[in-house]
Amino acid sequence: MLRQATSRVIGWRLSPAGPPLRLYHERVVDHYNNPRNVGAFDKNDSGVGTGLVGAPACGDVMKLQIKVDEESGKIVDACFKTFGCGSAIASSSVATEWVKGRPVEEVLSIKNTEIAKHLSLPPVKLHCSMLAEDAIKAAVKDYEAKHSKSSGATPLEMPLSG
Amino acid sequence: MAIRSLRRAVLRALSPLQSSSSLIPATQNSSLFSLSNYSAEPSTSASYSCPNFSCNSIPCRRLSSLTEEESHGPAAVNYCSLLTEEEYHKLANSTIHDLLEKLEEYGDSVDIDGFDVDYGNEVLTLKLGDFGTYVINKQTPNRQIWMSSPVSGPSRFDWDQKAEAWIYKRTKQNLFKVLETELEKLCNKPISLS
Repeated sequence: MLRQATSRVIGWRLSPAGPPLRLYHERVVDHYNNPRNVGAFDKNDSGVGTGLVGAPACGDVMKLQIKVDEESGKIVDACFKTFGCGSAIASSSVATEWVKGRPVEEVLSIKNTEIAKHLSLPPVKLHCSMLAEDAIKAAVKDYEAKHSKSSGATPLEMPLSG
Repeated sequence: MAIRSLRRAVLRALSPLQSSSSLIPATQNSSLFSLSNYSAEPSTSASYSCPNFSCNSIPCRRLSSLTEEESHGPAAVNYCSLLTEEEYHKLANSTIHDLLEKLEEYGDSVDIDGFDVDYGNEVLTLKLGDFGTYVINKQTPNRQIWMSSPVSGPSRFDWDQKAEAWIYKRTKQNLFKVLETELEKLCNKPISLS
């Protein structure tokens, strides 16, 4: 079982006297080496929602953007740029994959626990997945704020994430 | 100084190629990131507190009025503006050391396979064998204590001067209460942390 587990993770071992073993799940390594949807959209485009979360001093900043087809209300494209650890990059990369093709309101239900489970994030990195969830919510909020201004309609209430 | 140049580099990297406008309007404190593109009019949606923002003592005070103007919902108090770094370290260190002592005693009284409490580099790690691992650490730039729980996931606690407790803004929960509840459920034995 240990052999199976180790075959699914890629890491490096330091000398016995050094810091403890650090392991990254192969999915994290994959997203780190081959991040999906890196880039930027024009934030002034009416169909684009931009979420910017985090702070450099804390070590993590994520910018996640969604492009919404205004007729169908579905997210047709998404991109991200993240400054942070491998887990943060992987979390935001996964987030852009998961929002594509889904209605704007539906992506608000994406939970950090799902992202963390998908990437097998260790306890100390769960905060990265929460930041990715926040980035999605921020992007949706931005898109809806733009549309409430143009249409005069009240934006959807943002659920408080717990 | 180093933080400012780092912030500039990050902003440059994150800004779209053709955009000449900054991500944050010039009127807002440029040393801080807002949750999303800050709009001049207050949002009418339900209050969504900023999950993370860096703060130095002076810019913090400006941010606190900003977040209060931004939402019509319950005012997002910027607790970070209430603590200096020195005060924060004192409070957070004493909280975490307190927790460490109480958790060590708790470990002696419960029979959990793989129970281990470790404190190193200002990070408190509580292993509960098959039940999972808690990680509690300081997040100095935000003046927060961060916790990762196998039960409730990640949460970030700010110091509430009134309540004299560490509170998670989104759920209004108290750090000690959350731990007490979760540990009692997992280990079948109550613990008092306050």
